[in-house]
Amino acid sequence: MAFLNESTKTKVLGRSSAALPSPWQAWRYRLKVALREPTTLIGILTAFIFTYLIVVPIISIVLDAVRVQFGHERRLGKDVGELTFYYLDRAFFSPVASDLFWRPLFNTLTVALGAISLSLVIGTVLAWLISRTDMFGRRWFATALIVPYMLPAWTFALAWTTLFKNRTIGGQPGWLEAMGLTPPDWVAYGRFPITIILALHYTPFVILLFGSALRRFDSQLEDSARILGAGRFDVAVQIILPLMRPALLSSMVLIFAKCLGEFGVPYVLGLPVKFEVLSTSLFRSIASRQTGVAGVVAASIMLIGIITLMIDARLVREARRFVTIGSKGSMNRLSRLGRLRLPATGFAAAIFVLSVGLPLLTLSLSTIMKMPGRFALENFTLDYWIGTDLHTVALQTGILLSPDLWAAAKNTMMIVGLASLTSGILGLLVGYVVIRTPVRALSVYLRQVTFLPYLVPGIAFAAAYLSLFAVPRGPMPALYGTVTILVLALIADQMPYASRAGISAMTQLGKDPEEAAQIAGAGWFRRMISIVIPIQKGSLVTGVLLPFISGIKGLSLFVILAVPSTDVLTTYSLRLVDYHYTQAANAVVLIIAAIAYFGTLLAQKLTRTNLAEGLGS
Amino acid sequence: MPTINLRGAQKNYGVNSANAVSDLDLEIRDGEFMCLLGPSGCGKTTTLRMIAGLENLSGGEIRVGEKIIDSVSAGIFVPPEKREMGLVFQSYALWPHLTIERNTDFGLRLRKLPKAEREARVERVMQALDIAKYRDRYPSQLSGGQQQRVALARMLAVNPGVLLLDEPLSNLDARLRLEMRAELKRLHKEFKTTIVFVTHDQWEAMTLATTIAVRNEGTLQQMGTPNDIYDRPANRFVAEFVGSPPINILTFGKPGISDVADKAQAYFAARYPQLRGIGSVGIRPEAMGYAGKLEDVPQGSFSNEMTVTGVLPTGGSWILELRSENHTLFLTTHSLPRVDNGERVFFYAPPEALHVFDEKEQRITEADTLLRSSTYN
Ligand SMILES: Nc1ncnc2c1ncn2[C@@H]1O[C@H](COP(=O)(O)OP(=O)(O)OP(=O)(O)O)[C@@H](O)[C@H]1O
Ligand SMILES: [Mg+2]
Repeated sequence: MAFLNESTKTKVLGRSSAALPSPWQAWRYRLKVALREPTTLIGILTAFIFTYLIVVPIISIVLDAVRVQFGHERRLGKDVGELTFYYLDRAFFSPVASDLFWRPLFNTLTVALGAISLSLVIGTVLAWLISRTDMFGRRWFATALIVPYMLPAWTFALAWTTLFKNRTIGGQPGWLEAMGLTPPDWVAYGRFPITIILALHYTPFVILLFGSALRRFDSQLEDSARILGAGRFDVAVQIILPLMRPALLSSMVLIFAKCLGEFGVPYVLGLPVKFEVLSTSLFRSIASRQTGVAGVVAASIMLIGIITLMIDARLVREARRFVTIGSKGSMNRLSRLGRLRLPATGFAAAIFVLSVGLPLLTLSLSTIMKMPGRFALENFTLDYWIGTDLHTVALQTGILLSPDLWAAAKNTMMIVGLASLTSGILGLLVGYVVIRTPVRALSVYLRQVTFLPYLVPGIAFAAAYLSLFAVPRGPMPALYGTVTILVLALIADQMPYASRAGISAMTQLGKDPEEAAQIAGAGWFRRMISIVIPIQKGSLVTGVLLPFISGIKGLSLFVILAVPSTDVLTTYSLRLVDYHYTQAANAVVLIIAAIAYFGTLLAQKLTRTNLAEGLGS
Repeated sequence: MPTINLRGAQKNYGVNSANAVSDLDLEIRDGEFMCLLGPSGCGKTTTLRMIAGLENLSGGEIRVGEKIIDSVSAGIFVPPEKREMGLVFQSYALWPHLTIERNTDFGLRLRKLPKAEREARVERVMQALDIAKYRDRYPSQLSGGQQQRVALARMLAVNPGVLLLDEPLSNLDARLRLEMRAELKRLHKEFKTTIVFVTHDQWEAMTLATTIAVRNEGTLQQMGTPNDIYDRPANRFVAEFVGSPPINILTFGKPGISDVADKAQAYFAARYPQLRGIGSVGIRPEAMGYAGKLEDVPQGSFSNEMTVTGVLPTGGSWILELRSENHTLFLTTHSLPRVDNGERVFFYAPPEALHVFDEKEQRITEADTLLRSSTYN
């Protein structure tokens, strides 16, 4: 029998008592492993870069708020840079404080609350119609009603002025005025139109967030309540509403954060009646070189933004508790609308017409009409697009023939393109380091620092850049007025999306393919070139394309940092608005809207994702 | 490749977690086919990854021959790409963006081999593993088994000094598994590679390995030939882990808990009074016999009368389930059982078939000599 075989030797091994390495040895070994590959080095390098591009500007503008600025030495009796509470006092407590801060704050809050309420009412109804009923054309509406979000918000502001502008300000009158109906100021400018437009622009947020929550919601939950004897109303209040609360709160918070940084709409519609919100007040302080006060306002905006998004993060965490409920049994039974089917479809169609059809039609028509609001054949012309020898002071050719447009387009492509390309690549790199580095602290820091700009509205971030880079500091020359500052600010502004995309791409990739290459003998650079980048090609393309689209329609960053020589399409059209070249301005906005819309479609095609995931970019 | 030696190798993934591998001493000699066997989570994958250099050590060292390639105290770490080893991943980890051919010759290209030789070698492994016909496909267009073979081919192509395989057969169906087992054995002969093979399938380990290392919860339990492991398990864990149906264990202790154990205790007290500190006794089901009458029970063997409560055919052999008042035993027989449910039978086990463990569950080796010699007196 085999077990009698004496020659087999059984080794019985207990715990050998190998001495544990000393802490110093363990540390040296870990350092060696960490620095063996460029990953950690690149991580440290990018950490420095982002500290400089993101953290330092924010600190700089906060410091501006409490330090004596140029030109105030005499008045304050202190040297430039010394500590002072003058600006805080001026912005918060002085007689002008109400103009500088409190009234704009009040306006911001009321406009935001108005927009939130309105978009919640419209959005929840639409979301429910789209995802849980048998309304006609649900699928079509599901896409069509998201379109307003793909277009820049102030597209709608311009459409509004085209329709409702009255004689309060110069330039061509609005259509109604031209037809003899003078709209009152409160309709033409200020709180009312701003609220309406922001509400329509952000309704897609609610449709997307609330809609996806509704779709995850299991009809069986509803059914169980019904079986237990709950009426329709009870079900709505006791079952559906509590479960939907996180999605609702989350969209409210997001809309609020977006409204806080919104600049274009209040600029176009608020300025004529001196209706100011925080972002326009900040803009005015900067334009009038009130650096200290600008610092206070910007810091306040940041603070509000950070608080808001921290609330949101909390809500999201809370929402996770509900996630399992939808689970796989997710039955999605559609409610029959019955007689209400047609009216419901009519409602959705009306919202579409109001928020997409009408504005775009108005804008398009306005660019081919000589006199506003007169619908006679001889009043139509293509001159504003392709005409020559127009009898205007500047801009004597149609917009498509104007070298300024092409210069602005070229700038846009170059600045936004360069920034998106860089941030896309940096995003992937950050993703790589965050996932791969053995140094945990580095991973955590990089993740958080690249997320920081998300908490800061664009306009405040731009102000921070201005504060840091307007004057030469150390080896850094003054960057104001250069393309560089725009590119840097854009990169920093886009990093949250870029790094998030990079991290999720790298998480999905996992480490196996790379480790297999490592075993096969491939060093770091070889792995990057032959394995990581080719596999991540797709997400790199998205990582560049999505920021590109949001960069193209972005306004708040440029309006602070751009000068005429670095005009991009958005600032160019704003300048045209200022000069009352209505048709040309509208034409440029239409071009931007077209690029943004088709770019988004392209990005969706390429990534086969839907917009809900790119929300907020 | 010279002998690979792990000395006191240790891995700890987090500050507050238990060791995934603790104080592992392992010697892998040239040309050996070693199986790491153990339940899920015992640190098999971690060990392979430490050898390959994908996981850093928390303590101890690894040598190849006399050369240290990884040591915390000496501060040496040779990166995986310089170790010249092959590792086939549990998940295959084929590169999704490269064709099968490019997957296979990736390593050769890195080594800048002349084109002709490269093609010859790729051809040879592709033929050997029967994947030449898929050369232009992408990994996603292959079945699991085919992907597995590509993963193997990719590593064999560079002719590594040692081939580390992490449960390479776990995702295959029974037939393919058998084929691949034979294939691996053939490759081991043909390429003369040292192979370290991870599995938690004891059958696989028994049939393939020249040496088996049984692990549990991060520590090595026993290392030896398949026969060693089976015939002289070093402790109760190894005894219970290897073998199917599992070994019958009679735990000594308070009387009254198990009548069979009490009987065994009496048996040992009567026949081998010099053996002290017995904690438990193990009897493999296949080492047991049974008889209808007490007279047919061989002299000197341990036996007890029990009731047959189950006859389970397993294809060519049968498992009998035997019950007494408060104990259940399993017995394997290779001839058609002549008993039915409810019948009383005497099972018996010759003394040399008894595995004796002390109270710390370690094998009492003195018992072996004693029990074996007793057969002949
Ligand atoms: N990256 C990791 N981080 C933390 N703990 C880990 C990590 N990888 C493994 N572990 C832990 O280390 C222990 C050993 O894991 P290992 O993967 O080596 O087990 P295994 O023997 O290969 O198991 P299986 O048979 O299931 O593959 C497990 O307890 C596991 O939870
Ligand atoms: Mg494993």
